[in-house]
Amino acid sequence: MMELMTFAGIALIKIVVVLIVVLTTVAFLTLAERKVLSWMQDRMGPMEVGPYGILQPLADGLKLFFKEDIIPAGANWALFSLAPILSLVPALIGFAVIPYGPNKEVELFGYTFKPFVITDINIGILYILAFASIGAYGVILGGWASNNKYSLLGGLRAAAQVISYELNIGLAIIGVLILSGSLSMVKIAEAQAGGFWHWYIFGGLQVIGFVVYLISAVAETNRLPFDLAEAESELVAGWMTEYSGMRFAFFFMAEYTNMVLVSCVAAVLFFGGWQAPYPGTLLPENLAWIEGIFWFTVKVFFFLFMFFWLRATLPRLRYDQLMRFGWKVMLPLALTNVVLTAIAVYLVRQ
Amino acid sequence: MTLGQWVKRLTFYEILIGMKATITVFIQRIILRNRPAVTLQYPHEKRDLPGSYRGMIALLRYDDETEKCVGCDLCEAACPSRVITVISAEKEGEPMKRYAKEYYMDMSRCIFCGLCIQACPVDALAMTKEYEWAVYNKRDLRLNKPQLLALGDRNFPERERKIEFQHHNVAFFNIGHHDLPPMTSKDQPPVTP
Repeated sequence: MMELMTFAGIALIKIVVVLIVVLTTVAFLTLAERKVLSWMQDRMGPMEVGPYGILQPLADGLKLFFKEDIIPAGANWALFSLAPILSLVPALIGFAVIPYGPNKEVELFGYTFKPFVITDINIGILYILAFASIGAYGVILGGWASNNKYSLLGGLRAAAQVISYELNIGLAIIGVLILSGSLSMVKIAEAQAGGFWHWYIFGGLQVIGFVVYLISAVAETNRLPFDLAEAESELVAGWMTEYSGMRFAFFFMAEYTNMVLVSCVAAVLFFGGWQAPYPGTLLPENLAWIEGIFWFTVKVFFFLFMFFWLRATLPRLRYDQLMRFGWKVMLPLALTNVVLTAIAVYLVRQ
Repeated sequence: MTLGQWVKRLTFYEILIGMKATITVFIQRIILRNRPAVTLQYPHEKRDLPGSYRGMIALLRYDDETEKCVGCDLCEAACPSRVITVISAEKEGEPMKRYAKEYYMDMSRCIFCGLCIQACPVDALAMTKEYEWAVYNKRDLRLNKPQLLALGDRNFPERERKIEFQHHNVAFFNIGHHDLPPMTSKDQPPVTP
């Protein structure tokens, strides 16, 4: 019983720490996105709240918190309330299996635990994909429950888009799974140790898989240029049209949390997770975790910057273009990658 | 499709060109710092207005603090949106001289066309560079004569000298000073203290 209590207590502490870090990152990502976009467009971005607008997320959060919470008269009350939770919670749950630093056991006050991953389950990546699919329900139900034509169209688009592109994500990472022989995020990252030429994008030649993953990840998080479900020029705000106040903030947070999550997954699967781009570590053995976390953060923020960069560059696709791209380009590419990797691995291991 | 086109399509060549354009601006802006933002932080910094800027309309005075306006009503006639109301009256003791007893401008209707300024025979009206005139009550935009004169006073501190080339009782309009040759120091009357 005592053992169970300590296990739960340590897990709870880790969950709280990860939750705080992730939600702070999400809050400041909203600012970072506006700043990066404005720098790429010769503008300044938010400048009023705090020095250089650094406190803008706090102001936005306060504003959304005190806004009136409107439920439309024709809306389905239960589903309307459930949808924001259903899209935020699956996005946050995915962080349970992400390894943030070296997979080492630490002994503190007589307890032994792994500090840099909440839980290392042996089907880690499958678990993330499963919950990402549940996240799509939030969008679809939100669009349907609003009793609004724009919302419904946005929800329908999201349904088709997320399903098509999740298939591509699933196929794109199979190359990595073949190479590592494991579904556990920790084992996948550990298998890429020893310099950047051991990372699966370079060492495993998973370039096609990575490109397919990246594009599909952008599509799955409903970000530009694939934000068909939101499409403010056509559908007002898509499935979020009727939402206001904290419910809207939940959708907003879910979008950014999903961005962080897919960036973490990309870093772990293709770029070696916490592994530095050189063999071994520069810092001494007992401080190596700082280096690990540093490299993991650098990789994640590179992908997050990529999201902003794509948004600043590309216009939104048309709906049929999106579907054609997903099924006729991405899917064959992902399948080719699976076949090529399988043949290569078979030949090398002969 | 040629081979080159296929290679371009497969490597997302066009998209990479576009992404290069955005990252170039980003690097120039943030790392090299040789590309300023086009944004003007408006309430903190204001743009330089051109000399011909059409802002709020003001009534002017001569350098001896007398009003230029002679109450001729031509501005009222010229105004296309009926902004101006002039109530003209005789100057007391000087039956040939008139002035605007009351002068109203409803700036909520003004289209800032400048026709009243062109119509004025004594150049009593001018356009200032003031534009921050948001009010909570739209009736606050109906300006009376003291307000219009105050606008002129604070925007045109250098006043025109009153030309006295007609008998002061007869002078109705100081007409013609557009066509006169520019005044030299010799022409100016001696300054009396």
